[in-house]
Amino acid sequence: MLHVKDLTAAIGDKQILKGLDLDVGAGEVHAIMGPNGSGKSTFAHTLAGREGYEITGTVTLDDADLLEMEPEARAAAGVFMGFQYPVEIPGVNNMYFLRTALNSVRRTRGETEVSAREFLSTAQEAMDLVEMPKDFLHRAVNAGFSGGEKKRNEILQMAVMQPRLAVLDETDSGLDIDALRIIAGGVNALRGPERSMIVITHYQRLLDYIKPDFVHVLVDGRIVESGDHTLALHLEDHGYADFVNHDLDASGRPLSGATS
Amino acid sequence: MNSTATAAAPELPTKRDEAWRYAPHADLAQLTFGPGGASAAVPAELEAQIPVFDGPRIVVVNGIVDPARSELATSITGLTLSTVADVLTTEPESLTRHFPTDAEPVDAFAAFNAQFGRDGAVIRVAAGATIDQPIHVVDLALPGAGHNTSSTGVVIEIGEGSEATIVETRLGHGTESGGANVRTTITLHDHATLEHIVVQDAPPAQISLSRVDVTQGANSTFRGRSFNLGASYGRVAHAVVLAGAGAHAELSGLYFGFGDQTLDQQVDIVHAAKDCSSRQLYRGVLDDSSTGIFSGGIDVQPGADGTDAEQENHNLLLSDRAEANTQPRLEILADDVACKHGATVGQLDETALYYMRSRGIPAAEARRLLINGFADQVVDHVSIDALRPWIIDRLGHADA
Ligand SMILES: Nc1ncnc2c1ncn2[C@@H]1O[C@H](COP(=O)(O)OP(=O)(O)O)[C@@H](O)[C@H]1O
Ligand SMILES: [Mg+2]
Repeated sequence: MLHVKDLTAAIGDKQILKGLDLDVGAGEVHAIMGPNGSGKSTFAHTLAGREGYEITGTVTLDDADLLEMEPEARAAAGVFMGFQYPVEIPGVNNMYFLRTALNSVRRTRGETEVSAREFLSTAQEAMDLVEMPKDFLHRAVNAGFSGGEKKRNEILQMAVMQPRLAVLDETDSGLDIDALRIIAGGVNALRGPERSMIVITHYQRLLDYIKPDFVHVLVDGRIVESGDHTLALHLEDHGYADFVNHDLDASGRPLSGATS
Repeated sequence: MNSTATAAAPELPTKRDEAWRYAPHADLAQLTFGPGGASAAVPAELEAQIPVFDGPRIVVVNGIVDPARSELATSITGLTLSTVADVLTTEPESLTRHFPTDAEPVDAFAAFNAQFGRDGAVIRVAAGATIDQPIHVVDLALPGAGHNTSSTGVVIEIGEGSEATIVETRLGHGTESGGANVRTTITLHDHATLEHIVVQDAPPAQISLSRVDVTQGANSTFRGRSFNLGASYGRVAHAVVLAGAGAHAELSGLYFGFGDQTLDQQVDIVHAAKDCSSRQLYRGVLDDSSTGIFSGGIDVQPGADGTDAEQENHNLLLSDRAEANTQPRLEILADDVACKHGATVGQLDETALYYMRSRGIPAAEARRLLINGFADQVVDHVSIDALRPWIIDRLGHADA
């Protein structure tokens, strides 16, 4: 499914990703953990197609070269990124936004567009999944949403888009335990043999709900350790001290609470 | 044929006149004014451009009411529609506010209009009447041989406790230079409510000048909307006097420029009585090398205690050659005044564009969604359902 080989990304003089390798098979859930500033969000954005990076290496999804594609083409190819900081778009109605998104990828794939009525039932299911209030569809995208609502909206969008590869960037940060449960429930409901997920998190606690097939530790732009879910437990007890140089220990602890 | 006024022509404003600072003075100097032009043929294309909604319509072509396209006879109770030319003959004294004899015109264009704008629409609503259908005044400018810039008058009087909605659409046709100079005088009696919408979409060869003077009685409500979209220089000026206690004025406007358009909004709200409130909410979208101007005055006169005034102007620049000039002008000479103002000039939010594209929305569509989202916050103020799609459709064309 997804193959990442020797991926580097820089902004200006700053080298952020320094040769990252990752293979994600169909239906697998991979967790990526790592200290603040290690490049987790940058990795997610290189998959989603944000401009402004100088990139080398290869990234393929189902053998298609992702790095050559515009963000909208990647979405049509099945990439979905849940943003660490979902963007507020005042004046753009949620329902219109979602339907435009869904129909845009369907058009690109040569599928028929969904009618307003069909869309409503799709949206309603997605809203039920993350327990969104009824008026939600009529509000502007993320505008004035609470932190938890924004994160739930990311999962709702994922449910509508039904991606092939979901990259969830700290979708759990800043959530109370109830919201975390809702988010995790949504993610688990969307797991399937044809859908792969990369779950980026700072905290072991999300992985109590979403049990990953693999856990990777990203430090300073490289994956330095990979294992099964017990690796996350090890990190909880010991922090990243085993993987980072000692100067970074303090900020490198996964339970320090700070996010970036 | 119509001749240009020469005798004692009023002096044109210059860059030193604050209200005309960014106007294209050389182009304005090329305009010539005279009595209403001989009725020109209205091309089908132009006819098709006119927004359509239920309600009586008065069409003015080159400054003269076109009887074939207008419906002056109305069965709506409390509503009287006439032409300025007729009322000047039958009861000229009823038009003294529009043609004052005791006050100097505010500028040369108001003076030209007072001199030559001897036709147009007179809309009167009797006391205690609610007019459900919007009244549409359509001003068409067709410059050509013997006619350059039309002068049109619109006089609106809303009786005590009455309610009405009036749309003034300004359109034109052709590639000849010239344009329209329209002056509207509105009187709201006590407890009257008026929604008044100016939609300006003249062709790029033309200049469109609009001036709206409003006087409000006690507890009246004026909702003024302006959509300043067309013309090489499109100007919509509002001067509102809150003369009676408890009056409320709410002005909103959208200007959407491209090419090398200059779109100018001049707003003056005078709080002359106690406990009045006013709102100004203007948004500009400026592409290519267009220029947008918002100059908003709040003038709180001595004794106008309890004034509550707010002003907001937001601009979206779509090109690095576009320009927005925004200026609040506040003068507060009363006590117990709440006054707020704020202005922003920004660009399309790149992060929002990326977010939308990451959801599969193509870049051009994402841009359009963001721009329309910004503009909709003014379009949504329009109460006439049938007019909103016309405006949105027009914005879509501008962005294409
Ligand atoms: N736009 C940018 N310009 C310069 N440096 C950046 C930019 N974005 C991220 N960085 C830097 O790259 C590093 C990795 O950032 P990020 O990918 O956000 O880390 P993480 O998500 O793991 O906390 C950090 O040192 C950060 O400061
Ligand atoms: Mg991050």
